[in-house]
Amino acid sequence: MIIFDLLGMFLSAYIVGFLYYGLYRNITARFQRRIGPTVLQSFFDSIKFFSKKESISHGWMFYLGPVIMATGAVMTLFFIPFFYKSESFSGLSQYGNLFIVLYLMMLGPLGNAMGVGVSGNPFAAMGITRGLTRLFAMELPFYIAVIALMSINHSADIATIAANQSTMNAFAYPLLFIAAMFSFVAMMGQSPFDVVGAPVEVYSGPAAEFSGKFLALLMSQSSIMSFAKLVLMVNLFLGGADGFLELLGKTFVLFFFVIAFGAMYGRFKTPQSVDFLVKVPTAIAVIGLILATLGGQ
Amino acid sequence: MKIKSLIFPLFTAFVVLLLVSLGGAWQMDLSSFGLEHISVGLKVTALANFFAILIAFSLLTISFLSEKYSLSKSFKLLLYLLTWSMLLIVYASDYLLFFVGWEVMSITTYLLLSYTLSREALIKYIVFAIASAMALLTSIMILYSGADSFLYADAHQAYVALSSTLKVTFVTLMLFALFVKIGVIGFHYWLVDAYTQSHDLFTAFLSAVLSKMAIYALIVFLIIVVDISAMSDLWLSYTLAILGLLSSIIATFKAINEDSMKRLLAYSSIAQLGYIVTVLSFADGVSGALYHSLIHTLVKLLLFINVASIIYVTSKSKFSELGGLIYRMPQSFVLLLVGIIALAGMPPLGGFASKYLIYNTLLEHGNLLILSAMMFSSAAAFLYIYKLIYGIYLGHPTSKKLETIEEVPSIFLIPQYIIAFIVIVLGTFPGIITPYLNSILGELKLKALPLVSATVLGTENGSYNGLIVIVAFALIFALILFALYSLSSNKIREAKDRFDIAYCGEVPNEGTHMHYAFSMGKELRRVGFIGTILRNSSSYFYDFLSRQLFSFAQLLRRIYSGNLSANFNIAAIFILTLLWWSLK
Repeated sequence: MIIFDLLGMFLSAYIVGFLYYGLYRNITARFQRRIGPTVLQSFFDSIKFFSKKESISHGWMFYLGPVIMATGAVMTLFFIPFFYKSESFSGLSQYGNLFIVLYLMMLGPLGNAMGVGVSGNPFAAMGITRGLTRLFAMELPFYIAVIALMSINHSADIATIAANQSTMNAFAYPLLFIAAMFSFVAMMGQSPFDVVGAPVEVYSGPAAEFSGKFLALLMSQSSIMSFAKLVLMVNLFLGGADGFLELLGKTFVLFFFVIAFGAMYGRFKTPQSVDFLVKVPTAIAVIGLILATLGGQ
Repeated sequence: MKIKSLIFPLFTAFVVLLLVSLGGAWQMDLSSFGLEHISVGLKVTALANFFAILIAFSLLTISFLSEKYSLSKSFKLLLYLLTWSMLLIVYASDYLLFFVGWEVMSITTYLLLSYTLSREALIKYIVFAIASAMALLTSIMILYSGADSFLYADAHQAYVALSSTLKVTFVTLMLFALFVKIGVIGFHYWLVDAYTQSHDLFTAFLSAVLSKMAIYALIVFLIIVVDISAMSDLWLSYTLAILGLLSSIIATFKAINEDSMKRLLAYSSIAQLGYIVTVLSFADGVSGALYHSLIHTLVKLLLFINVASIIYVTSKSKFSELGGLIYRMPQSFVLLLVGIIALAGMPPLGGFASKYLIYNTLLEHGNLLILSAMMFSSAAAFLYIYKLIYGIYLGHPTSKKLETIEEVPSIFLIPQYIIAFIVIVLGTFPGIITPYLNSILGELKLKALPLVSATVLGTENGSYNGLIVIVAFALIFALILFALYSLSSNKIREAKDRFDIAYCGEVPNEGTHMHYAFSMGKELRRVGFIGTILRNSSSYFYDFLSRQLFSFAQLLRRIYSGNLSANFNIAAIFILTLLWWSLK
């Protein structure tokens, strides 16, 4: 039954996502020689926020913004198969392919941008502009890497790409993987590309006006989205997974790398991050793409 | 509702429908008029029908709105003449009638633009239109020299018969003529001013169908005449792909930086047509190009009508003078939202289907870097798309007048609702037009798209199911909304006024600068390559060209000074030289 399948995907993403979010806070704290909160703290926070009253609303579009954002995250999750072999936990992925996932990933932020815009807070709108600016820059190396994989496998189907790796793509095409990892760090909102939600830079960025249940919804969608992106990366570069344990192991390795990377580097300004992303990772990706297509022939 | 203004558009639509259903062809040999070897003809083809339907639909939409503007009779007459010249272009089956249609189209457009354009913008338009027409005429003549026939049926044979130098000249001149009309970057010098200053209704028409005529001509040229699928002209493919790509990237960044709504949309048109030009570098790209033409026509009609209605109600046309209109005109906001989602190519709506076809064509042919760059420009487009909706409807009203304004008249909303409905249907049933596309592709002897069902858009590389996507989206959206609603036990406090926001601990007031649309995109100037794009303009080149022409004219003026005795001397020398040369 597809309903139970989707429900299972949603629940596992929700739980694992929050677990990872807690781990993120904990591990970052250890990097900074703090003890940090407990692993379940983020989960408690979200429960607390769900039961809180909102401080303010700016009309129906403000209400719908976070809802569209969460819808985008859940849709993205449903179009990415968890396992390449089994039929279960494949969600709706048979009805679409990688192109639709790449676009669904951007649907949420664009919907939320409407909710943020209607609040009339110029700082929040500034955060959105920075987000959209960073978005196109970080997508470029990722697109090149993903398109190279699609071309190598002659398919835009995620499960096919995941199954079709005798050696993991990360080792078979290391340059593509490195380039995609730069984008991935930016996609996960980690330093050095974390100017969008940076509290000190713009008065807490796109989320400035949201409180209570809206904030809880935004937090939940961000954990679901993080997990969806991790699964996508595992499918594309780390050979996919055949069971929950393998999936958790592989996603955690990726996740730990992203956290460690973020803990080491300082923050770029928006123009700096665009400038960096369209130069270094893009150049690596282009070289990787040329090598990969030459090798394939 | 005045039915009078709709009589002629309805008649046009009726004629088009009649032609679509009946079909037919007509050919005439002009030798009875003393013109040997010349025959002209009209033919109803599936490709022509596709564009004719777009023309008729756009004319109907525009005429529906015309009663809100006091259009003069001559304006309407010119508009009808323009429509019929475009119908002549698409139904012509030879290059001679095509050229007649093309010329009438250019001249009537000039006259229609002359109602509102500044002198400088008009001169820009007419210089480019004449250059385009001359290039087209020359290339048609070159083609005629190949097989002594203007007919499309003989065109490929004529092209093959040309010498290689003539082939290159023919292709270059033809591409120049079409690129000027499409507004490919570098050839777009006339376009932005013409779009911005033209009558609000006419801009929609310009963007929706006038630019598509050049796309139609490009398809005819590439598939029927040159036969690009033979892959003997690789340089032609690369020229198209790279110029189209440059168009979409440069125009996207230019659009982000604009403050005027119509200028932003003009650049957006250039960028969207850039995708079509790129994908036409492959014969298989025709399906994507046609689908994108359809979506672009619908979306640009919707967006330009929306913008026209905003200008009609507020008489303001810049983002920095608008803002905060969402709760004053919610219907217009939702319609614009549908339009921009389709323009962005987001999954639930029809825009994704055309992007999907385009991307799959490029992927299939292994043009990977071009595909990545195209997806990059498509992602960058989100910025100007957001600026469009934010600048008008979100943020803060920038004047007192905007706070008391009412929803736009319903006559503006009706056509937008119809178009939005079509776009949503195309998103739900992306495969619904596959049979029609296949009949066009079959006629052009190209590979047909796999026919699965109306809800599935199939390609060689896989397919996607529009119905599942939109139903899943709607269900998840409803579930989350319901969950959020059931969690809220008591009513949320509404903001007291628009200054009731978190503002870094300060209290904003009337004097605080709050509408962010001013500076949206300004940050990009500091990024190296985008700064270079924004600082440079094709006008530098054309200014340089015009300066050189002027100094050359000055030089000529020295010799031909206008002095009668000097003129006589020049004429005498000229005639003597001629005499000497002829007697030699």
